[in-house]
Amino acid sequence: MAGNLPRAGTLAEKIQRFRRIVDQSGGLKGFFLRLQRIDDVKEGKLVGVDKFGNKYYENPLYFVGRNRWVEYSDRYGYDYDGSQIPAEWYGWMHYKTDKLPSEDPTRPKYKWIKEHEENPTGTERAYVPYSTTRPKIEAWKPPKA
Amino acid sequence: MATAVKLFAVAKAGVTPALRPAVLARMLSTSTPQQSYKNISRPDSKTDWPNILDEAISTLALKEILVGFGLTLGVMFREPATINYPFEKGPLSPRFRGEHALRRYPSGEERCIACKLCEAICPAQAITIEAEERADGSRRTTRYDIDMTKCIYCGFCQEACPVDAIVEGPNFEFSTETHEELLYNKEKLLDNGDRWEPEIASNIHADHLYR
Repeated sequence: MAGNLPRAGTLAEKIQRFRRIVDQSGGLKGFFLRLQRIDDVKEGKLVGVDKFGNKYYENPLYFVGRNRWVEYSDRYGYDYDGSQIPAEWYGWMHYKTDKLPSEDPTRPKYKWIKEHEENPTGTERAYVPYSTTRPKIEAWKPPKA
Repeated sequence: MATAVKLFAVAKAGVTPALRPAVLARMLSTSTPQQSYKNISRPDSKTDWPNILDEAISTLALKEILVGFGLTLGVMFREPATINYPFEKGPLSPRFRGEHALRRYPSGEERCIACKLCEAICPAQAITIEAEERADGSRRTTRYDIDMTKCIYCGFCQEACPVDAIVEGPNFEFSTETHEELLYNKEKLLDNGDRWEPEIASNIHADHLYR
């Protein structure tokens, strides 16, 4: 990470940075909406958008752990969840790799790979366990006399 | 009091009576302990009128409380030391042992051959396997259950597996609202493998030099 870039130091620089953040959020209204939804407004480079519309940002001026972040797609509203990040972006998001999914050759694309799904617990799509074998014990039916 | 304790100690140690007066004479003096202590408490403020007025004003105006509020306000604008989950996430190792998954070969054929090594090695006995011959004559599992609430995430199953079928994937965001949702069966595990294969394969590749 390029951690040795100069930080915004003087008051003028801080005000400029704040204005850039407001501009990037789409004006003051967007700024406050984002502040309410994400609790944090930062400026960063948009490095990619996944197929669900989640936007991934990076800014190496922040320390590791804070320098990559995701803005969940608008379709989720306030129902965002950590499990909505698809497997392709998972490694980049967790700092396992610096390569973006599009430029990482170690990620296979087989046709049987299924679409990512968020954690379905608490919804109708929640997993319910069932047996995958035939029952070994069957009820005895009394022979008809 | 200290002197009395000392006297008692001396008497107990069985010092001869001839020596006792000399010990007593030394211990009765209090000047040495007094000089060996240092007063570290704040010196009393001056009691002239300007000083009394100053202190009364700062007490009435809650000066210390306002200074404390100011410090709190300043910290609000500082860069936080925590990460803002789920928008930001912490670093993770390719060897991280999370939710289990059953993998497939690139052709789409399931890897598991029902050798039951994972079932045998599992220290928590969380894995249950039943096997049968499939229609094409290959040996496959009919039941592959993992009780995720028994599992201790030791990773022995993926190390025991000769065909890299069962793996502990990277996902840790699989918490559920009920217990039964964590009693995974074969379909659920294969489903996990199908969804997470891009990340599982990438993790195995990242670690292949150390295997």
